[in-house]
Amino acid sequence: MKAKKLLAGAAVLVAGMMALSACSAPSSNSSNGKVTMTLWQNSTTGPGQQFWKDAAASFHTKNPNVTIKVQTVQNEALDGKLQTALNSGDAPDIFLQRGGGKMAAMVQAGQLMDITGKLSSDTKANISQGSFKAETYQGKVWAMPLSVLPGGLFYSKDLFSKAGINEAPATIDDLSADVTKLKATGVAPIALGAKDAWPAAHWYYWFALRECSGDTMEKTADSKDFSDPCWLKAAEDLQAFAGEKPFNNGFLTTSAQQGAGSSAGLVANHKAAMELMGAWDPGVIGSLTPDQKPLPDLGFYPFPELSGGNGQPGSIMGGVDGYSCSAKAPKQCADFLNYIASTEQQTAYYKAYNSPPVNTEAQKAVTEPYLKDVLAAYNKAPFVSQWLDTILGQNIGNALNVAVVDMLAGKSDPKGLIQAANDAAKKG
Amino acid sequence: MSNTREKTSTEKGSKADLAQRGGGGANASLPPKPRRRRRGFGWAGRMEIAILAGPAALVFIGFVIFPVVMAAYYGFFRWNGYGPPTDFVGLQNYFVIVTDKAFQEALGHNLFILVMSLVLQGPAAILLALLLNRKMRGQSLIRVLIFVPYVISEVVVGTGLSLMLSTNGAFNGFLESIGLSSWAHDWLADPSLAIWTLMGILTWKYIGFAVILFLAGLQGVPEELYEAAALDGASYWQIQWRITLPLLAPTLRIWAFLSVIGALQLFDLVYIIWGQYVASTAGTSTMATYMVSNGRDAGNFGYGNAVAVVIFLISLIIALFYQRFVLRRDTQGALTERKAK
Repeated sequence: MKAKKLLAGAAVLVAGMMALSACSAPSSNSSNGKVTMTLWQNSTTGPGQQFWKDAAASFHTKNPNVTIKVQTVQNEALDGKLQTALNSGDAPDIFLQRGGGKMAAMVQAGQLMDITGKLSSDTKANISQGSFKAETYQGKVWAMPLSVLPGGLFYSKDLFSKAGINEAPATIDDLSADVTKLKATGVAPIALGAKDAWPAAHWYYWFALRECSGDTMEKTADSKDFSDPCWLKAAEDLQAFAGEKPFNNGFLTTSAQQGAGSSAGLVANHKAAMELMGAWDPGVIGSLTPDQKPLPDLGFYPFPELSGGNGQPGSIMGGVDGYSCSAKAPKQCADFLNYIASTEQQTAYYKAYNSPPVNTEAQKAVTEPYLKDVLAAYNKAPFVSQWLDTILGQNIGNALNVAVVDMLAGKSDPKGLIQAANDAAKKG
Repeated sequence: MSNTREKTSTEKGSKADLAQRGGGGANASLPPKPRRRRRGFGWAGRMEIAILAGPAALVFIGFVIFPVVMAAYYGFFRWNGYGPPTDFVGLQNYFVIVTDKAFQEALGHNLFILVMSLVLQGPAAILLALLLNRKMRGQSLIRVLIFVPYVISEVVVGTGLSLMLSTNGAFNGFLESIGLSSWAHDWLADPSLAIWTLMGILTWKYIGFAVILFLAGLQGVPEELYEAAALDGASYWQIQWRITLPLLAPTLRIWAFLSVIGALQLFDLVYIIWGQYVASTAGTSTMATYMVSNGRDAGNFGYGNAVAVVIFLISLIIALFYQRFVLRRDTQGALTERKAK
């Protein structure tokens, strides 16, 4: 019997331990003044990943008490993992912030650190108000912007000149004419990674930006009501454009950023002439060229104009990539955000990612003509909108993404697309 | 022949009885054996059970029962997944699910896959098993070739095949190189083809499992029966039809059950090959991909949990029906009340 009692005691102990182990210790421990923080970033390519490792190492050299562990999470998997981590109370201390509806939801759930009062004077001097606007919600700043990522078309100058095209298209009609010319040379005119849905949806968002006024966009973001005729008109425009078959063969099963067969890979390997993307694209294309160096003949032109729309000509859409601190992060987290916003780190960031930095001092280091074009278009724009799926929130954004793919595949029509956007409100 | 079948099933029955009695379970319908005293479970006995079964029960409760209960709870909320759920909406999620065309399509695909799996894989696997059950050259090689796809992880298969079957992939390239370019198709993206492509992949991948099961089942068919039938002048096909198939029936029923459950829960291959967005467009979405697309990816966690509950209920109902009406003879006494003889 003694043995049995012992066993019973052991069983109770084991059970107790199992119950305890469910609540894990917080990731940051500030024992004896030493702090360890984890950072989640989404760059799986060499230089981007290296930037974060270097930043963490140099910050540690300057602040020996602070250690930052960098973890890489693949872009398409990041949001789901991050949400799970935030809800389990075991979030990374520093992580990529996509802004928009997702950021608002994190703020409402009390999961982000308010860094409004923690911005250093250098940071405020070098980063424009406009860039902070994207990271602001309810009058407070919740993330440190690092890179402005306006969208537009990234194209191969060589393939354009082979097709006898001497200047980038300024209107949709020009673009249609160029598509015909490019087809004749045997390359895919436009690469499209519809397997990931959002790249296809971007085409709709851009048409909407040309058809709808800035006011309408902002109203719809609040009301989630797509009854304004401009939304339907934009869907009809896209359907008409897609009817010319401008996209690469098999675009429905082409992913956006993974491997040589992805849409970025097609541009990188001169299999397709252009791609509609955000300003992170040069970095992604560069990592997929045969020698893994930036594409030498890469060019950029803004989304073409459309006659008769309500959108202000030159309006641009884009996001700002920022980094947030979790609400539970130690106070040194904000110091690190100020550090990566500094001119020196921002210059390193631009070199690693090949995308435009937000720091105006670091922007002076930009040499690539296509990035200069991106910045010029951005600084000239009368109206800058966040990505529509970001503004509309995850639920409607996701439904629209799927609906656009359905329409491009011929499974639905413009009316069905608007219907899908209206129906989504029932689910969330 | 029906004699034999009865004999074996009663034999089976008595074997099960023996096993049961050996297991110390008190069975009211059996005459108590004099040399074995019925043991009640005293305090010590219960303790013993608690210690031995405790850890497994804890894990099961923690990782199976608890999530199921939580999913049912979350399913009543409109919840975006940040912070605790507060917006109680009752059964609204469930009304939206059953009226959603995309969900009905996904369920339809599940049922199509379920039926086609049974129709395609069953007969083919039986024929292969019969073929491999005789002594022949290269037998083990063929066995390996058939079984290997089942062993390869779904992720590897999905990634490889999505590259090979894409519009400009190796498969169409191969067709062109042997002069059959007219046969090249959009295997994955064409809505009229995609589900058949998926069916082909599933058959290729899971038939090995069925073959192995049937081979094991064939081992259990007594040799004498074949000899006796051959002496009576039965042809090969008669023997297979009258002896092998009836004796394989229990194995077939179990395989079909596993296949049905697998078809209802299909997720990984579809998710990897078509991504979470294109599956509904290509007509290969399943209830599970619908759940991930409309739950996690849309940030509607309450809604997603409600979908999970619906999938659970549908699977449970089908499984219970199957067990009640098809597996009855095989699992008698385990799940159903045993009738006193």
